[in-house]
Amino acid sequence: MEKSNSEPSIEMPRGLQLSPSQEKLIQRILDRVLVTCPAQFILLAEISGQLISVHGEKGNTDPGALGALVAGDLSASQEMARITGQYQHAQLILREGSDTTTFISEVGEKMVLYMRINKEEPLGWARLMILQACHALLEVISAPAQDVEKLELDLSEEQLNTLIEDGLDSIWHD
Amino acid sequence: MHINWQLRELNLKIVYYGPASSGKTTNLEQVHQRVDPAHRSEMVSLKTYEDRTLFFDFLQLEMGKICGLTPKIQLYTVPGQVRYAGVRKLVLRGADGVVFVADSAPSRARENLVSWHDMVSHLLANNLSLEDTPIVLQCNKQDILGALALSDIKYLLQVREIVCFPAKAIYGEGVLDTLKAITRSVMTKVQRQTATV
Repeated sequence: MEKSNSEPSIEMPRGLQLSPSQEKLIQRILDRVLVTCPAQFILLAEISGQLISVHGEKGNTDPGALGALVAGDLSASQEMARITGQYQHAQLILREGSDTTTFISEVGEKMVLYMRINKEEPLGWARLMILQACHALLEVISAPAQDVEKLELDLSEEQLNTLIEDGLDSIWHD
Repeated sequence: MHINWQLRELNLKIVYYGPASSGKTTNLEQVHQRVDPAHRSEMVSLKTYEDRTLFFDFLQLEMGKICGLTPKIQLYTVPGQVRYAGVRKLVLRGADGVVFVADSAPSRARENLVSWHDMVSHLLANNLSLEDTPIVLQCNKQDILGALALSDIKYLLQVREIVCFPAKAIYGEGVLDTLKAITRSVMTKVQRQTATV
């Protein structure tokens, strides 16, 4: 635990790259949490807000927007904790509502987990499940990936530019 | 940048930065208004009661496949008001590219410069360097009386080589050109990075 006001800013890691096998492991972990908790909905995002995985009933929720907001929520809480000298690793934000409870948890320095459960589910059990899931997720991303897929944009710069121009033109109307 | 291999998606984060009231949210509103709803999310805005950006605006676009991957472009704005410096740093986390929206009013020259330096320091705080981060300059509000020329704004910011566009974002002018330019720069950088892996 670090409790100093003079603590330097939290280190901002660069983008997270996952291999297909890591993605599958992450999916398995979160599917298991969804059932054992049980949770209504789970979302895993990169700390920058980019979506990694969603599980359960999303209903009308836009996962992209939710990922951005969850990451923003965690960032704001981390910063609040930091400027008041209360920053701790593995922060968990809990919101109790009338029907559901939501948790937002740091997963190491690179990911953030959002989970929504029914109000009737025991909070202690849910917290334990989240903690275990976070450990398991961290193990997955810290192990070296065996099947790193290479991103191949096998195009000339001109071809790439044309594809982008055409792609944006095709979805744009004046 | 985040690649989801299972869904074959390439996620990119672009942040619109600049001084207060320079037109960052207006850019996103125009994109939201002019992009086919099937290819964009709803716009999320975290605002104050005075309708000013408190945390960020967010909008996601989805383009057609490029080399088998679907680019998903996430557009964010930062709050421009001076007091929200901490928030701007947070929103810049993991940015793949930045659009700096300058206000072309001569009376806002100083604010542009302060915001530019603020951006540079927050990029550094996020382990992003000015040299390696794709940045496009948009000189907005070119329709106002006595608007600064693009060359004046570039001189003010001491940036000679930067890609720069004039804009009247409130009318949608220059918004698409800017978006195309930053997307090209970000994708070109991704391409170069992957070619050297």
